[in-house]
Amino acid sequence: MTVPPAPAALRGSGVRASTGAALVGALIVWVALLGPLIALLAHLSPAAVLSSLRQPGAFQPLLTSVAASLVALAVILLLGTPLAYLLARGRLPFPRLWEVGVILPLLTPPLVIGLLLIFMVGPNTPIGAALSHLNLTASDTFFALVIAEIYESVPYYVLGAAAAFATVEPQMEEAAALLGDRRWRTWRRVTVPLAAPGLATALAVTWARAMGAFGAVLIIAYHPFGLPMQIWVTLQETGLKSALPFALVLLVVALPLPVGAYLWSAHARRRL
Amino acid sequence: MLAADFEVGRRDFTVGIGIQVEPGELVAILGPSGAGKTTFLEAVAGLVPLTAGEIRLDARRLSSAANPRADVPVGRRGVGLLRQNPGLFPHLTVLENICYPPRATAAVAIKTAARMGLETMLQTRPKGLSGGEAQRVALCRTLQTEVRLLCLDEPFSSLDRPLSLELLELVRQELQGRGTAALLVTHQLQEAQAFANRVAVLHRGSLLQVGDPRELVLRPRTALVASLVGYRGWLRRGEQLMAIHPDRVRPTGAGSGTGVISGRVVGMRPDGARIDVEVEADGEWLGRFHWLAGEPPSMGTGLHFRAADPPVFGGPEAVLD
Repeated sequence: MTVPPAPAALRGSGVRASTGAALVGALIVWVALLGPLIALLAHLSPAAVLSSLRQPGAFQPLLTSVAASLVALAVILLLGTPLAYLLARGRLPFPRLWEVGVILPLLTPPLVIGLLLIFMVGPNTPIGAALSHLNLTASDTFFALVIAEIYESVPYYVLGAAAAFATVEPQMEEAAALLGDRRWRTWRRVTVPLAAPGLATALAVTWARAMGAFGAVLIIAYHPFGLPMQIWVTLQETGLKSALPFALVLLVVALPLPVGAYLWSAHARRRL
Repeated sequence: MLAADFEVGRRDFTVGIGIQVEPGELVAILGPSGAGKTTFLEAVAGLVPLTAGEIRLDARRLSSAANPRADVPVGRRGVGLLRQNPGLFPHLTVLENICYPPRATAAVAIKTAARMGLETMLQTRPKGLSGGEAQRVALCRTLQTEVRLLCLDEPFSSLDRPLSLELLELVRQELQGRGTAALLVTHQLQEAQAFANRVAVLHRGSLLQVGDPRELVLRPRTALVASLVGYRGWLRRGEQLMAIHPDRVRPTGAGSGTGVISGRVVGMRPDGARIDVEVEADGEWLGRFHWLAGEPPSMGTGLHFRAADPPVFGGPEAVLD
């Protein structure tokens, strides 16, 4: 985005000084945010990364994390999208109540979410009993990992998607309806494409959160190891040096999608 | 044929309308802001439910207050609606916008677009269009549906006057070529007269008078209608109120005689090529008149003029608001 030049009256030395100060501040924030990443890269030699990844079973946590996050993402997309749309359009009764429900997992510490999940879906609960009839167990299983990841990441998607849908003027949908279009087709051809930049950002953030979910996972899905658990266990057992390669793998897998989605949505927004 | 006889409740007043529109007829609804014009069109288009009565188009009942569940859904009523905001889809090109309606075909769409002078911009996105072009695209898009009645909700009022009249003429020709009926909502008499075979005056949710575009101006039924169709001078004689149209006065020489109105110039301002003269008679403000020819009078001058066939209202008809 280009910023129009300030009016002549504002272009004094005072303004220039405060712009300079703001720039310095921005630079500090930027360096502070990227610092850990740079430090991580500085501490890693390619040989060390390769050798730790060549150990037997080193890729298993990565595969587990990707698979669980994909399933979590699919569930969130399927269940969260209609909710986000209804929230954005104000079509739900008691909208504040729904919003609180969505925000609650965001406000609850992940560890506490894990504890609460044990009380909800653990083996000795009605839901747990019902699940066992389906041969499912919601503790220390892949299924449990998915549940924990969903709880830790779903608010990011619903809030982001609701914001994205809110940017689509209802008049667009009205125009489509007036042209004889059916609801579902309008949704597919107008609403979603117009909300796509925001939806992509929401989805990307959600992916990153699901990949990195740890607190709730630690409580209800210690096994099978996903990447965050692998990092934690390796750190406990053999120390920082052997944990770092896994951290790098997590970043490499978790980051490109969000960054790519962000860049695409910035581009798409300009086009509209 | 559209047969509408219905009510829609609004916060401030009820919009109650009874009107028939023949196939291919062009009707203008003239009314000030907030008269209920948009509500009327939205009810016809099916966007708001009725609180009483029903709307029929040909043999079909589109809406009824008695059984709103059976209302024909928006977009399947044979009714198109163009609003001031053209509502083009920003992510689609002009051609994709025009071809959006489910049964539209590219061949027909391109032909319509060419008639509207859009052929060079089919691949552009709406962002790059001017206001007039965007409205032409919206019109073209609506015409790709099987529309038998087109509702126009001041679609061109944000454009400048000559362009808006030009576009209305384009719409008129297109509709007459197809035999499609239309309801144009506007607050400008000039637009209503240029477009319609019949003009209806709407005020606070009620149709005050429906008639021939010229007849309506020459024979307003009440003082309120007169004020809405452009009468600006008022002369009270006892119980009776005479309405004087600024374009329908002729200066006469000094003197009396029946029908001669005498007053004094208390204000003047230019209005295009002519001068608007503000006149007072017997200490009472009379109105504004157009000074059509010759040197304008100076302030304070006595003025004698004759109004051509002015309507006179008595009793409840003489109420102005």
